[in-house]
Formats: sequence, C-alpha cells, structure tokens
Amino acid sequence: MIFENMGFYFREALLSFRRSALMSMATILSITTILIIVGVFLLISINSSLFLKNLESQLEIVIYLEDNISKAELNNLKDNITSIGGIKEVKFVSKEEAYQRLLKNLGEQKDILSAIEVNPLPASFEIQVKDPKLIEQIANQIAEFKKVEEVEYGQEIAEKLLNFTYIFRRAGMLVLALLVFASILIISNIIKITVYARRNEIEIMSLAGATSWFIKWPFIIEGFLQGFISAILSIIILYNLYFFATNKVHQVIPFLPLVVDNMDLLPIGIAIVLLGSFVGILGSMFSVGKYLDV
Amino acid sequence: MIRMFHVHKNYPNKIQALRDINIHIKKGEFVFLIGPTGAGKSTFLKLVYRGIVPTKGQVIVDGINIARLKPGYIPYLRRNIGIVFQDFKLLYDRTVYENISFGLKAIGATNFEIRQQVKKVLNLVGLEHKKKTKPHLLSGGEQQKLCIARAIANEPLILLTDEPTGNLDPSTSWEIMKLLFHINIRGTTIIMASHDKLMIDKAKKRVVRLERGRIIEDTQRGIY
Repeated sequence: MIFENMGFYFREALLSFRRSALMSMATILSITTILIIVGVFLLISINSSLFLKNLESQLEIVIYLEDNISKAELNNLKDNITSIGGIKEVKFVSKEEAYQRLLKNLGEQKDILSAIEVNPLPASFEIQVKDPKLIEQIANQIAEFKKVEEVEYGQEIAEKLLNFTYIFRRAGMLVLALLVFASILIISNIIKITVYARRNEIEIMSLAGATSWFIKWPFIIEGFLQGFISAILSIIILYNLYFFATNKVHQVIPFLPLVVDNMDLLPIGIAIVLLGSFVGILGSMFSVGKYLDV
Repeated sequence: MIRMFHVHKNYPNKIQALRDINIHIKKGEFVFLIGPTGAGKSTFLKLVYRGIVPTKGQVIVDGINIARLKPGYIPYLRRNIGIVFQDFKLLYDRTVYENISFGLKAIGATNFEIRQQVKKVLNLVGLEHKKKTKPHLLSGGEQQKLCIARAIANEPLILLTDEPTGNLDPSTSWEIMKLLFHINIRGTTIIMASHDKLMIDKAKKRVVRLERGRIIEDTQRGIY
C-alpha cells in the first residue's frame, strides 16, 4: 500500500509545494536561517577546539640534567622516560645546543655572554605528552629518576590553561545543545504553520475514510523536502561565507590554525542535513497527528 | 442500519449534548433531524461517523459498535458514510473534478475507478460541464451539489447532511432536496439535520425532533 501510493504521495507533496509556493519559500528561508546560525556556531566551535588543542600541545615538560651525567646514564634515562605511558615525543637538547639557542635569543645583546667563560647551561630533555591532563603526573614520575636536576612544566600556566579549555568546551557543548534544541522547536513550529494551512485537507481526507498514514505521507515528504532543501541551501551559503572569512583571517593572522580541510568540515554538513531533514519529517508527522483527530 | 441505546454525550465543559437517546434507523430510510440550535443535532451526526464516542450507551452503525472501534478501523467505518457539511469544506485550490477524486484516492480507488465514479456522480448532480472549474467560481447551490457528489462518490450506505440547504434560496434548496431523495431511492440511508421548515413539510419523511439533548418527537411523515 505504501509503495503502491508513493507516486501519489510525492505528487501531492510537490503539488502542495507548487500551490503554496510563497509559503514554501518562506518556510525554506526561515529554516535555512536557523540552520545557518547552527552552522556558524558549529564552525566556530570546531575552530576553537582546534585552537585549544594547539595551545595544549604546546605544553611540554623540560628536564634539566646534572652536568656529570655519563653517556650510558643519558641513554638509560631516555629509555626510562620513553617507557612511561603517554609520552609523545622526547627531544634531547645538549649543553652546546642550549647555548646556541640562548645566543640566538639574545640577538644583539649576545655580547653579555662573553663575560662568562664556561657554558652554564645544563643539557635537557624536552618532552611532549599525548594528553595534556597527564602532564603533572608524568612530570612527578620523571622527577624521581636519577641524574635529573630539575623538572619544569609551567605548572601554574598548565593548570590555568587546562581549566580554561575544560570550561570553554563544556560551555560550548551546553550552548550547542541549547541551540539545537531551539532550532528543533523553531523548525517544527514553522512546519506546523504549513500543516495548519492545510488542516481542511486533513479533515476532509480523514472524514472520507483515508487511513492516517495515507494522510501523513505527503506531509512527511513535504517536511523532509523543506528541511533537506533548507539544509543544502544553508550549507552552500555557509561554505562560501566560511572560506571567504578564513581567507580574510589568514591575511591578518597567517599562522592561526583554522579548519580548512573539506573532510574535516564534512561532519558539520552531515549534521546540518540530518538536523534539517529529521526535524522536517518529525515536525510534519506530529503536526498532522494533531489535526487528524476529527 | 443505525441503532442507539441509552446514549448520553457530555462534553468536557459539562454540557449534556445528548441524553438517553434511543433510536433505530433502518436501511434506506430518510430521516430529518430537527430542533433548535444546540439541541444536539450535530452531536448526533458526529456519533454516527465516530467523530466522537458516547459518554454512556451504545451506538451501532452497520453492525459495528463505534465505541469499541479501534482507531485504526475508523477509516473503514467512514468509507461507508458520506458527509455533507453546511460550510461545504471544499478544497478551493482544486478543481471540481479533483475535489471528488481526492476523496476517492484517499480510500485507495484505482485511477480507472476514479474516472468512472467522478463522471457518474457529476452527471447525477448535474455538474459534468464544470468539472474543470474551481469551487469559488460556483454558486452556493452548485457548491452544495459538489459536496453531495463528493459524499456519494464511493457509494456509501449512509449519507449524513448537516443543514445542506441552510444557506440556499428556496428553489435551489428544493433542487438539493430532490437530489437527496434521488440518492435515497437508490438505497442510501440519509439523515439530514435541518431547520428548513418549508422543505421538511414538503418532503413528508420521518422527523426526529431533538430538544436539549432528548428526542421529544419521532414521527413518520412528520412536519416541522
């Protein structure tokens, strides 16, 4: 029965689209606007998430070594460090390298070093961890090793940064949830209006003895089409706006990390299509149900 | 065809629309349902097509107890009942033809059946030449004829009409009445809620008079 009549349902849905062209256009524009707002927020949130990740990955542990460390002890220490879980990268900086870095950093003022005869800088390991939350634990573990003079990881900054990113992410999720909830309400209300405009048809069909699914299908298809078309429109608009905006930002701040890979943006597109179509379908189903009870 | 046993209907606002209604309407009867506004005529009709269920009592339509009818089966009950409303309830963005075919499609008729039936009922009500016209271009009488055509298109056993001549002049009203008699003669049971004294007196059919929710008179060949 359902598939037998699919042709009829589609014709009815398209017919209603054409008959109330203005209404349909207004509906699609309204839903498109809502989806664009959701999309903008999603784009902002994936970019801030990338930014925070970058920031966190810059957190590192620096281990200053005792001057009298032998080559064997050095290798042994390196092995011990790498065997700790959660280490991403271990980089050795020799006394000489440290000195060169300092020279470079001092630039014009490098002459002040000439007053010192021996290289006072210790050799060190620079360690990056996989999960910034583990940084304190790993640092404490390393401090126990022999020949380690000092462990530094910017404790206060790390804590503040981690706290900040945690709150920022949670708040983002909350705002996203509210926004999605609001968009569901708004879209289903917009759909409700289009169904309301055709409540007569629903009543007539119901009194003529049409089954409720027979009545619902054209509306479901129409709701889906409205949601889907709006989603596609909003994706096209967002895509163009986004690349325009990222170009502008990169002109001003060239090294700011931004999500520009299409594959990374794909989930947002999918989310918008799903949001538009599902809410379109469910919104029309529930609204028709309301007028079916005659 | 229709039986009611001790039927009461109360609405949520405590209005008692019907009180202890007992009636038996046989197959092929023509019954006028009369009484002042608010007497319960529309409630009576709604019970028959199961727009509502009785608060108390039994309503049997074509052997089916409507209060026990599962929602999924309501459409099948309604396929045996045609309804004509005073306010027409036409689809004004569709043609005369489409207004009738719409209801037939809704109950699963094939395209061939639809073409046959629409032609037949349009001929019967005399609107064949206007099948491509939109309803707002029809006169009141023509719109009412279209409603009747739509209601009888699937050859229902029962035709319910709620004040079908309410907004029409006497000569058009009589035309509608003649059409209804014609449908009745072909075997359809008709219940017509009406205020139209002229038509009722002229028709000499069974008259059921409601007042404040009760049947206070039920006469064969009655008058208003």
